[in-house]
Amino acid sequence: MLEVSGLQVRYGAIRAVRDVSLRLAEGELVTLLGTNGAGKSSTLMCIAGALRAASGSIRLDGEDVTAATPEAMVRRGVATVPETRDVFPDLTVAENLRLGAYVRRKDIDGVAADRARMFEMFPVLAERTNQPAGTLSGGEQQMLVIARAMMSRPRLLLLDEPSLGLAPTIVDRIFEMIVALKESGLTILLVEQNASKALAIADRAYVMRLGKIAAEGSASEIAAATDLKALYLSG
Amino acid sequence: MTAFIQFVIDVLSLGGAYALMALGLVIVYGILKLVNFAYGELIMVAGYTMYLVSGSGLPWLVMAMVAVMMSILAGIATDYIAFRPVRAKSVTAVLITSFAFSTLLQNAALLFISPRPRNVPLPEVFSNTVEFAGVITPARNLITIATAVVMLTLFAWLMQRTVLGIAMRAAATNFTMARMLGVPANLIISSAFAISGLMAGVVSMLWIGRIGAVVPGIGLEPLLIAFIATVIGGMRSLQGAVLGGFLLAFIDTGLNYTLPQDLLKFRDAFTFSLVILILLWRPQGLLKGPATGQRT
Amino acid sequence: MTRHFLTAAILIGLIVALVVATEIIGVRLYTRIALNLCIGLILVLGLQVFMGNSGILSFAHIGFMGIGAYTTAVLTIPARMKGMALPDLYPFLVDVQISPYLGILIGGLMAATVAAAVSYPLMRLSDAAAVITSFALLMVLHTVMTNWSALTNGPRTLFGLPKATDLPMAAGVAILAVIAALAFKESRTGLLLRASRDDEVAAGAMGAHIPHLRWRAFVLSALFAGIGGALWGHFITSFSPRAFYLKETFVILGMLVIGGANTVTGAVIGAFIVTAAFETLRAVEGALNRAQIFSEQVVGLTEVVLAMAMIAVLSLRPGGLFSTREIGTLLLRRARQREDKE
Repeated sequence: MLEVSGLQVRYGAIRAVRDVSLRLAEGELVTLLGTNGAGKSSTLMCIAGALRAASGSIRLDGEDVTAATPEAMVRRGVATVPETRDVFPDLTVAENLRLGAYVRRKDIDGVAADRARMFEMFPVLAERTNQPAGTLSGGEQQMLVIARAMMSRPRLLLLDEPSLGLAPTIVDRIFEMIVALKESGLTILLVEQNASKALAIADRAYVMRLGKIAAEGSASEIAAATDLKALYLSG
Repeated sequence: MTAFIQFVIDVLSLGGAYALMALGLVIVYGILKLVNFAYGELIMVAGYTMYLVSGSGLPWLVMAMVAVMMSILAGIATDYIAFRPVRAKSVTAVLITSFAFSTLLQNAALLFISPRPRNVPLPEVFSNTVEFAGVITPARNLITIATAVVMLTLFAWLMQRTVLGIAMRAAATNFTMARMLGVPANLIISSAFAISGLMAGVVSMLWIGRIGAVVPGIGLEPLLIAFIATVIGGMRSLQGAVLGGFLLAFIDTGLNYTLPQDLLKFRDAFTFSLVILILLWRPQGLLKGPATGQRT
Repeated sequence: MTRHFLTAAILIGLIVALVVATEIIGVRLYTRIALNLCIGLILVLGLQVFMGNSGILSFAHIGFMGIGAYTTAVLTIPARMKGMALPDLYPFLVDVQISPYLGILIGGLMAATVAAAVSYPLMRLSDAAAVITSFALLMVLHTVMTNWSALTNGPRTLFGLPKATDLPMAAGVAILAVIAALAFKESRTGLLLRASRDDEVAAGAMGAHIPHLRWRAFVLSALFAGIGGALWGHFITSFSPRAFYLKETFVILGMLVIGGANTVTGAVIGAFIVTAAFETLRAVEGALNRAQIFSEQVVGLTEVVLAMAMIAVLSLRPGGLFSTREIGTLLLRRARQREDKE
């Protein structure tokens, strides 16, 4: 479904992503691991259309989307949840969700049904519907941004470090939800620093180091690899 | 008592006009973080449109709608000519290009129409006087208040209830994230400029209604008013712009009433001094805008 | 250090070359243009001192030029002329008449003083708010100049200033301005100010109090503007408040922005280029009017073309022609690269 090859992303003279190639098949949950600064977020943001690729290609269902704008990617069914969470703090929970459904705004009934479904999945959001999103706790905000991304009925979900800054119990709940989403048929690319939790739910994994893919394989293969620690510590 | 009611009517009508002026400026600034120096010329465009269609024999309201339409188009054109080429590159560059565009429009009016004032048709009702709560006041003042109330209500409805308004508020907080939800950047920006043009067009009808004629430099005073109202109200807050507009109208009207005759011509200097005092106390303006944590 | 001296030498050399060439050609028109160019240089360099270092666009600059001009006028117009020139002047000033050189100096100091008194609150504002407040300040200064008839003869022309400015004098002050602008840029205040643009927190940790730094730069820039205005007053000998308003602001800004606001080189080159373009366009406009190609007088053509040129230059090079490095630095770098290759 998604094919990335030879991707290079630059910040001025610095090459954050040097040569990354990866692929996702429909229905897979693939995780992209690596330490801080390995280039995982930049890769994700580039796929999402928010960062420009210096070279390389990104293909979605065979079509070249390397230069696609973020809006265009959403229209193609790719939704992104960035690392910074980026709720709109002055908009209410309901307004955030409504905005997430922007590309489907004409389908009023469909959007209402999805909203109900999101509230079922994340009951705490139903409680706080009319509160400004900035007043929610970190975990609640994470749920909000995932729910918001789902409102566009994406086929591919790009998740950047959902566990960042959250307490372990909350992280567990979030990961349960991610599994539930996967089981509903969603394809997911999960960027994570928390390798063990990510590998527990993923089908396959890539490990990035210094802007390149250092290892790839099924989740169990990567989890068993003894040089994983070495990769993390020396990278 | 009569004087007090007179004062209140004056402040409300002037404040309504000022608030609309300020709103038209802030809607672009809030989303793009860019100041549109050519904003005053949108008022000029509406005025000259009225002048140019004045011979057509159409009813005034229709002519006014045409003029407002031209303001909206001019607003969108400002984006394409002065903003888009430089928007991504430098904030200062945009200030200069919009200032340059403003000069261009004014001199174009000078060149192609005339440096001398041109008369603008006004509806008869503007010159009628009306008695209200024991006070005799030009009908124009009450019409201004009514128009301001209608426009502000419409604007609030747009921002709070429609998905476009929600998208614009989101874009003002975090443009990139809004795009990552599928909100088309160009639509948001053009909408902001269109609304800016709409506000300018409506204000133009009310403002020129006080003077009856249009000159190339007519946009300067409203621009200045919008600037000051925005700065004291809080540059990134829509409510702040409205508040700033009314506050500025309060200061101006108050000075009009209280300054001795020979100091009246320096009224703007006094207003500015009071504004400086307000800014000393609250450099960010009276109301805070959406939270971002970035440098304004 | 060498690169600063090189920059100064080149820029000063340009000005000297201008003066020498003009004196040799000896045509009055060119002398006038060169003199206006030198005064323009003083003003643009003043603006560069503030804008280039603080990153904030100031629209108020020309207002301070007016303060300088009117101050020296009140102090130097011969006592016998004051009756006609400034009929409402305060009695204690009527008999005051000092040398124009002193008047120019005091004009600059007065502008700096007003700037010092008025501008501090503006320096605490966010960038955009500071810009538009500076615009309002220009308007206020203009209102004051237009209405304070006792000191300015109101909106009417004020005449009677002694003609004291000649080309060598204006050029000499312009050269001093180049040196001062470069010195300020590399001074502790200038460096801290520019550092604070990139990272406010880090600069604060180094002891930079940003509003205070900006204030110093603003006052210095007003000093330049006041001196420039006073010099101009003693050249043109009569003027009105209209001379210190939007059109002039637009031209000065154009010079700085096209040349490059961040560098002194940019200010100087911008002034040269825009003056050349402006005078050429004015000549064309004049020729068109004399030849009566159009039925009415063509007015405002110069501004239209200048505005389009500014938009065009900015879309291609938003930072101006010399956007980051002074000419001394650029030349030395090229020389070093050539050495490395050999």
